[in-house]
Amino acid sequence: MESRIVEHPILGEIENGRTVTFTCDGRELTGYEGEPIAAALKAAGLMVHRYTQKEHKPRGVFCAIGRCTDCVMVVDGKANVRTCVTPLKEGMVVQTQYGVGVEPFDRREEGENA
Amino acid sequence: MKRYDLIVVGAGPSGLSAAIEAAKRGLRTVVFDENEKPGGQLFKQIHKFFGSREHRAKIRGYVIGQQLLEEADSLGVEVRLNATVIGLYQDKEVVVKLADEVVHCKGDAIIIATGAAENMVTFEGWTLPGVIGAGAAQTMMNLHGIKPGQRVLMLGSGNVGLVVSFQLLQCGCEVVALVDAAPKIGGYGVHAAKIARTGVPFYLSHTIVRAEGDDCVTGVTIAKVDEHFQFIPGTEKKFEVDTICLAVGLSPMSQLLKMAGCKMEDNPRRGGQVPICDAYGRTSLAGVFVAGDVSGIEEASSAMIEGRMAGIAACEYLGFMEKEELAAQLASQERALDGLRQGMFAPQNRGRAVAETEEGIAVSASLLRHGYISDDEIERFPGITHRAGVHPVMECTQNIPCNPCQDACPKGCISIGANITSLPVVVESAECMNCGMCVASCSGQAIFLVEEDCGDDTATVTLPYEFLPLPAAGTKGDALGRSGQRVCEAEVVGVRSAKAFDKTNLLTIKVPKEYAMKARFFRSMHN
Ligand SMILES: Cc1cc2nc3c(=O)[nH]c(=O)nc-3n(C[C@H](O)[C@H](O)[C@H](O)COP(=O)(O)OP(=O)(O)OC[C@H]3O[C@@H](n4cnc5c(N)ncnc54)[C@H](O)[C@@H]3O)c2cc1C
Ligand code: SF4
Ligand code: SF4
Ligand code: FES
Repeated sequence: MESRIVEHPILGEIENGRTVTFTCDGRELTGYEGEPIAAALKAAGLMVHRYTQKEHKPRGVFCAIGRCTDCVMVVDGKANVRTCVTPLKEGMVVQTQYGVGVEPFDRREEGENA
Repeated sequence: MKRYDLIVVGAGPSGLSAAIEAAKRGLRTVVFDENEKPGGQLFKQIHKFFGSREHRAKIRGYVIGQQLLEEADSLGVEVRLNATVIGLYQDKEVVVKLADEVVHCKGDAIIIATGAAENMVTFEGWTLPGVIGAGAAQTMMNLHGIKPGQRVLMLGSGNVGLVVSFQLLQCGCEVVALVDAAPKIGGYGVHAAKIARTGVPFYLSHTIVRAEGDDCVTGVTIAKVDEHFQFIPGTEKKFEVDTICLAVGLSPMSQLLKMAGCKMEDNPRRGGQVPICDAYGRTSLAGVFVAGDVSGIEEASSAMIEGRMAGIAACEYLGFMEKEELAAQLASQERALDGLRQGMFAPQNRGRAVAETEEGIAVSASLLRHGYISDDEIERFPGITHRAGVHPVMECTQNIPCNPCQDACPKGCISIGANITSLPVVVESAECMNCGMCVASCSGQAIFLVEEDCGDDTATVTLPYEFLPLPAAGTKGDALGRSGQRVCEAEVVGVRSAKAFDKTNLLTIKVPKEYAMKARFFRSMHN
């Protein structure tokens, strides 16, 4: 379902930046330039931003103001980027963060066993 | 090292107000804030504020934020954004983390106005994506134009939980329940009532058992708790939701003060660890002042006054003002602050059960328990009277610091008197001209205009409406009662929107006359 508020009874029509294209785990998505990466991901219906190192538990946006670090992802190859306070730019490459990297745990184990 | 007369940490309502007062008197002032944009909590608040005219009542929070910023700007206050203060030392040295450098600055005086952080609660599944803080919900919907979820359960019935629930409804989310472990609603009754009448159920003495879902929230189970906050088996209720929103209190962000060696105290009335300070925000360290939520959780209106006082006190400390002048300048601020700290929700009444209003009227038990005043309780309040013709009905029944309704009426139909916490009273001798200003000005959306008998067995009720789509005249639907239950059929016979109403639309509905005192919300047939 649509997550973007098009018109708000108090704030009126929502002003947006220029539409930009970016990818998340290889999937091509669009968002508005300058909005938090997390906002664009939410609009695309994505909830899980990362899995924790030890217990492999999913995490998503929690505080939305850059304090809790639950929303960190790998952005343009850099891990631990707080997506709720990092502005979206054209061509960004966003990836789900597993522990501190981009390699899913199951694949990693397979690799180790092989 | 850069030097300033005054360094303010935090660009929320208190920090900006402090900087404004200091800059007015010639202090070289800088404000640091960790965010990309200034304003603190204010820009997320889209409702009309309480208080009286001197507190900028009935103006929406974000507009107050814009006004403060413009004032600070015109006075030449330097506001540094994306600037997190990570250290404060006794000699008034401040360590600031900017984008990719760490700088040290020194201030002859320092004002800490860092506000508060949200509290958390834990339950099974609380770390699942989809469990968010109320502040996060506000940030997403009011700053970034994103709905936090489609179906939301709110935990916490303090003013934050209530205000955010209403905002969720305004941006088109469904709020399936408002839940609180306490037996009574913590926030203002008027905030609760405007949610309840849209049909949101309140579950007091309930809390969350678990959040369901594997990768993200797909549901939530709540259960009733006994007086020791233990779950009562067999009382579980399950809701399908995609979002669980937590509004379980705020704690002062006082770490910097502790670091600097300020004398601190643990004060539950102020919300936790707070610096010991006097009425002007002077801490145990000479030249270090505090203002706003960091020195005790209150609200934005009092934060602004505290900020002004700390700013003025800092001027005196630095010799920009004589002692006698200080007292004179602070007197009016103190009076304004005192006005806000009265009534049932005043800091000194926190945690106390108030059974009667200042007027000696029994408070509505249903309002505290269910979020709405029951039909048999409503008549005992002085805002409710009956007469021929259109007249105001003020369902404002708790002593809160608020009086825009009194100022709004050009005909003098509404009286609160000198004490701004008194309940609004209908002035029987005045004649209402149906202008609607009282309905639109009421910060609590608690005023209705009622014509009890239009002569054809119908009545009209005019109510405040801040939702989309706005029904057009002629739309048919249901009238809902205070509880949000359908009471009868209704037709919209008038819609008024005016600049002076500041985005509160006035909907007039026609109902059978026996429902004149029951119909309080409208739902069109399509919803
Ligand atoms: C949902 C909600 C609804 C509310 N409704 C109302 C209402 O109707 N009426 C009302 O009067 N009040 C209301 N309030 C309360 C009001 O918002 C706060 O009391 C008020 O904002 C406190 O002001 P402040 O300046 O102390 O703190 P804040 O507004 O929190 O500002 C503090 C600022 O300091 C920054 N900061 C913190 N630490 C640092 C650091 N180390 N370095 C740099 N910057 C830092 C923060 O990021 C923030 O920008 C509401 C609050 C919430 C959460
Ligand atoms: S409608 Fe106008 S005249 Fe009537 S009570 Fe309200 S403000 Fe006064
Ligand atoms: S009726 Fe008056 S005092 Fe009560 S909430 Fe409305 S404006 Fe404030
Ligand atoms: S959600 Fe907390 S840091 Fe982004």
